[in-house]
Amino acid sequence: MTIVYSTVLLGILGFAFGTFLAYSAKKFEVKEDPRVEMIKEVLSGANCGACGYAGCEAYAKAVVTGKATFDMCIPGRPSGVADKIKEIMQKNAPN
Amino acid sequence: MRVFLILFSALLVNNYVFIRFLGICPFLGVSKKMDTAVGMGFAATFVLVMSSVITWFVNKLLIALGVQFLQIVTFILVIATFVQFVEFFLKKNSPGLYEALGIYLPLITTNCIILGVAILNAQANYSLLEAVFHALGAGIGFLLALVIFAGIRERLELYEMPKPFEGLPIALILASIISMAFMGFQGLIKM
Repeated sequence: MTIVYSTVLLGILGFAFGTFLAYSAKKFEVKEDPRVEMIKEVLSGANCGACGYAGCEAYAKAVVTGKATFDMCIPGRPSGVADKIKEIMQKNAPN
Repeated sequence: MRVFLILFSALLVNNYVFIRFLGICPFLGVSKKMDTAVGMGFAATFVLVMSSVITWFVNKLLIALGVQFLQIVTFILVIATFVQFVEFFLKKNSPGLYEALGIYLPLITTNCIILGVAILNAQANYSLLEAVFHALGAGIGFLLALVIFAGIRERLELYEMPKPFEGLPIALILASIISMAFMGFQGLIKM
């Protein structure tokens, strides 16, 4: 019985808080530069930190703000991630 | 009357930072500048009060179902939710403060003051109102500690310090002196 209670209770609590957070995430949404999202798609997504940033998102942000170069993603090197990032940055450059 | 006793007890006599030595990590981490110290204090106070309200109800539920061993798990779940909410809120309304707090903002989740207050509320069998005032006292006490410390550390930057004492060492020595000063509040309230 204890197992059932604990599972149900944690399930309900988790679901309730998750819904609350999903709602507040929508409500307090911050519009980001769309290029950050696009670069994140191209990156390997391993969050390995080999580029020297805290994760793929931090690296994507640094690229968009011009603080980092295109060729710093080491796991993405064989598949030519650097060129893809360059393409995104040039195609969608703000006028 | 009892609620004010609890409030001032948590604020001064049993100040969570200086007397109980909880929440030292953010206390040392964000007390370099006054702005971030105040922001951190208010963020932590908000999370404290909100989470102590919810954990009060959750604790009653846990006791009713006889699964008190889930206390820490559920309490952390509640706290993490509110921390995430504060993060969303700050990102939207105060990006500057969001950047300045950096990693210390999500780290409020593991701030031992917040879990400590929630567990102490459960242990002391406080009523809902008493629990809220306890959390409020703890939060304002944390804010007070941060503000005092940030004020001193900002001035400290201007003085030349012997090399081995620069930065954190002198901050720790200072913290111990303030802590001793806070011992002076011991006789303030007789509970």
